[in-house]
Amino acid sequence: MIKILDGAMGTQLQQMGLKPGGIPEMLNLTEPDKIIAIHRAYIEAGAQVIYTNTFGANRYKVRRSGHSVQELIGAAVKNAKEALLQSGAGEDVKVALDLGPIGALIAPLGDLTFEEAYDIFAEQVRAGQDADWIVLETMTDLYETKAAVLAAKENSDKPVYVTMTFEPNGRTFTGTSIASMALTLEGLGVDGIGFNCSLGPLELAPMVKELYTRTKLPIFFKPNAGLPDPLTGQYNVDAKEFAEMIATLLPYGLAAVGGCCGTTPEYIRALSQAVRKFESEGAHLEKEEEKEYEELTKKREACPLGVCCASQAVFLDRPRVIGERLNPTGKKRFQQALREQDMDYILQQALSQVEAGADILDVNVGYPGIDEKEMMCRVIRALQAVVDVPLQIDSNDPQVLAAALRIYNGKPIVNSVNGEEKSLASILPLVKRYGAAVVGLTLDENGIAAKAEERFAVAKKIADRAALCGIDKKNLLIDCLTLTASAEQEAVAQTLRAVQLVRDRLGLPGVLGVSNISFGLPYRELVNTTFLTMALQNGLMLPILNPNSEAMMGVMRAYRLLMNYDKNAVEYTDAYKNYVPAAKAEAAPLAAAQKPSGEDAAAKKIGLELSEEAMQLYYAVVRGLASEGERLARQLLETLAPMTIVNQILIPALDTVGDGFEKGTIYLPQLILSASVVQGAFARIKEYLAGSGAAAESKGKVVLATVKGDIHDIGKNIVKVLLENYGFTVIDLGRDVEIEAVVLAAQKHEVKLIGLSALMTTTLGSMEQTIAAVRKAGLDCRIVVGGAVLTQEYADRIGADFYAKDAKETVDIARKVYGVS
Amino acid sequence: MVQLKPIRMEEAARYLGYGTTKPDEVILSLMKECEAPLLQACHPAYSYGIFDVERAGEELVLLRDCALQLPGADIARHLEGCEKAVILAATLGANVDRLLRKLQVSSMPKALLTDAMAGAAIEQICDDIQEEIRQQMPLYRQTWRFSPGYGDLPLSLQETVLSVVEAGKRIGLSVTKGSMLSPAKSVTAIIGLQNMEQISGALHLNVPEEAAGCGTPGGCASCRFGASCGLSAVKKEKQGEV
Repeated sequence: MIKILDGAMGTQLQQMGLKPGGIPEMLNLTEPDKIIAIHRAYIEAGAQVIYTNTFGANRYKVRRSGHSVQELIGAAVKNAKEALLQSGAGEDVKVALDLGPIGALIAPLGDLTFEEAYDIFAEQVRAGQDADWIVLETMTDLYETKAAVLAAKENSDKPVYVTMTFEPNGRTFTGTSIASMALTLEGLGVDGIGFNCSLGPLELAPMVKELYTRTKLPIFFKPNAGLPDPLTGQYNVDAKEFAEMIATLLPYGLAAVGGCCGTTPEYIRALSQAVRKFESEGAHLEKEEEKEYEELTKKREACPLGVCCASQAVFLDRPRVIGERLNPTGKKRFQQALREQDMDYILQQALSQVEAGADILDVNVGYPGIDEKEMMCRVIRALQAVVDVPLQIDSNDPQVLAAALRIYNGKPIVNSVNGEEKSLASILPLVKRYGAAVVGLTLDENGIAAKAEERFAVAKKIADRAALCGIDKKNLLIDCLTLTASAEQEAVAQTLRAVQLVRDRLGLPGVLGVSNISFGLPYRELVNTTFLTMALQNGLMLPILNPNSEAMMGVMRAYRLLMNYDKNAVEYTDAYKNYVPAAKAEAAPLAAAQKPSGEDAAAKKIGLELSEEAMQLYYAVVRGLASEGERLARQLLETLAPMTIVNQILIPALDTVGDGFEKGTIYLPQLILSASVVQGAFARIKEYLAGSGAAAESKGKVVLATVKGDIHDIGKNIVKVLLENYGFTVIDLGRDVEIEAVVLAAQKHEVKLIGLSALMTTTLGSMEQTIAAVRKAGLDCRIVVGGAVLTQEYADRIGADFYAKDAKETVDIARKVYGVS
Repeated sequence: MVQLKPIRMEEAARYLGYGTTKPDEVILSLMKECEAPLLQACHPAYSYGIFDVERAGEELVLLRDCALQLPGADIARHLEGCEKAVILAATLGANVDRLLRKLQVSSMPKALLTDAMAGAAIEQICDDIQEEIRQQMPLYRQTWRFSPGYGDLPLSLQETVLSVVEAGKRIGLSVTKGSMLSPAKSVTAIIGLQNMEQISGALHLNVPEEAAGCGTPGGCASCRFGASCGLSAVKKEKQGEV
């Protein structure tokens, strides 16, 4: 039976005279009779569920009200129960503890941590334990929603229903897609999902239909009474229309319907009647509507495995690529990045894989000397702030997986569980609890079996255990393991056969790390592409490979075309319409690298005696030729020592640009453009050094931080780039940095210089406190401050050693402090 | 409804420190390159309420039927003689923040330019909203946008300002513990509305076309109504500026 939910609370409160900007939950204490009257009116109109007046009753929003969350929620639940009593409704009507968004966002959008958000919701859930249900509504951030769901499920045993608010573009304000909402919340085990607020039933209808194809959970629907008139605030759909519009959507999995802004008891009465009519007579669908309903139902039944980040869902309706590059195994530069906590390098690797066409990124940070749990969480947080593809969390340590699954924003893949009892017992429950997909490796206590049938048997065992743990078969993938062809040539056929068996007999899609096949062989790409093609044909759906390899991506595109996944060759044609064979491309002259006239003189003037190639790099920096830095550095590294390139080409070139900047003939964007050329050259140099096992020579270490309370850090990041350009090692603590974290980092790295930035006057206080803490710790280091609102005078007042008006000046200060040129 | 328009590159260049100098071709073409992804990331949204100014004391302004109280001499001066005040919140949306984070990893020059262009874009959106209000209320001239944190108006008012226009629910705009707006490319403002029928005629009549509007000492630049008071002479000057 479809449940009738209540209508708007806020609309009613405003009619009662609640002022805009006031705290509606205060009325639970000051005007309980009025709240009870509203509840009663909805019950009398037919509502079977009433939402408590607690939408904003969280610690953050009511902190200045003079009342605690417990008082406000306690009174609200009491009022709702009293309304039940007065109306004589009894057990038939449920009281739902209504929880809305916190009002502040979790980082990186805002400055709350995931754990703080969890605590805020947990407090509300405990305060509202006398309610029958928990409803989260008007949610827009999937991450906050996840914190709330965990708080609800871990602090009560009540059913949890979630409705999120979508805009006309089919996304929430923070960019959550409908599919991502469905995959994530279904995974977390909520009891129903849906939509409320923002739009009317008409505008939300296509979204209800989409959600229907993406979930089998009961769907909740509480739309507004249409759209408001911008001038009068009046909504444009009346009660009768409202009920009629919703009635046409009832076949689409709707399990509970009510109203949001602009609706009144009259709307709920009409809706209740329409729903009862539908239940007794069925839907009256026109022929076209009937056809649409059948098509969508078919789509719903066929919905394949999906995983997601907040903004993007990836479905296994065709072979997809998992990028393998975020992994330290055999990658010296990546190992170095992990040791140095160089998030920028890791993010760059991630973005370049996504750009190359990776659908999902594998993340592995296991390396000796690295705290894997801490690093995994750190990398995931950094990745989900900028990368728009789902992640595959790659670890076999249950503790690492538990921590990572908890803070992951979306539905990830766990890589992996295997047939060993220890692994099955510790990892599968985590997969179930956090609603992930999981890769099962076909190995067990006896290692990797030689024969395909034996590997199949392990796959079957994993599948059975997963089912016992309540994991939907749709969330299971099997990796039959790629062995190196050069070492175990006869095993290749067994792997392929096992993939096929798993597909045919278990109906499970295959995952394989492809690149391993060619280890130790020359011309690895040839072996890799051939093996990839063979494996795809045998049931491989998720190859883990290097998406930056054009040849491998080429196989994927061609395969999807040939197997009719890529309808009308759209994707293929898009990728190759301007294809030029490599031989021809190389023959084209490199116009950009040609030496400009008249610049020799400029170089001579600063006393440079450089080779032709070295001069090209110098010019590339001075003129800001973005793509040239890395290429020219690569060439020069064949003949010049890395530090010679830095000291004799890059820094003098930057100085030339910097002088112009100081004189006002060159502007900040040009300076940064030059800096980015140097950045490209440096990336190449670092890779070279990491490969040769040598450490880069540092001009000195600098700790940088945007102070506590401040989340605007672009200025600090510009300073970082420029400092690194000049050969300084930057320990970047990020933004909104705790005071103690600055002190600790300065101590640990024994830096002589700390750079602090703040954008707003309100955060200058925490800048002052940070400086005081550094002084109190007795550290022998200088502090430079910068940021839009700072002045020399203010810097002096708060006890900074230096004020830098821009990034260039910060570099000059660092050079002075470290006594380097 | 406000529409996204080509971004005012001169304005963005000004934020980048160019003053009135035109950026060179390399930078201009890079800016052009940044424009499409920025416009694609923008989902401008706004919410405002218009309230009667109830009492304009020297240090406090109250608004009728509104829980927002505006303390300080500066806001009192800003709203002096204004019959109504607009409480406005506008944002480019969370995707722009995300784009900027991404660019700071992949290309700092593009991040810098896009940041400035996004700054210009949100101001354009606010100008458009003011124009929309002007069309609805042609008899009122508007002050420039006064935001929490200006002068002695506390930044901590952000939270109540957002709550008055239901910015969280309507446009997805919230405030951090440090009173910063999130998404970052957002504006909150208080705009005074002065009923022009109530203003003494002498102030506006018989002003030479080329003069600054009403003859305020210092011209439009120093007037709280800026170049938006609706006088033809002023309009002409505004066009000259752009």
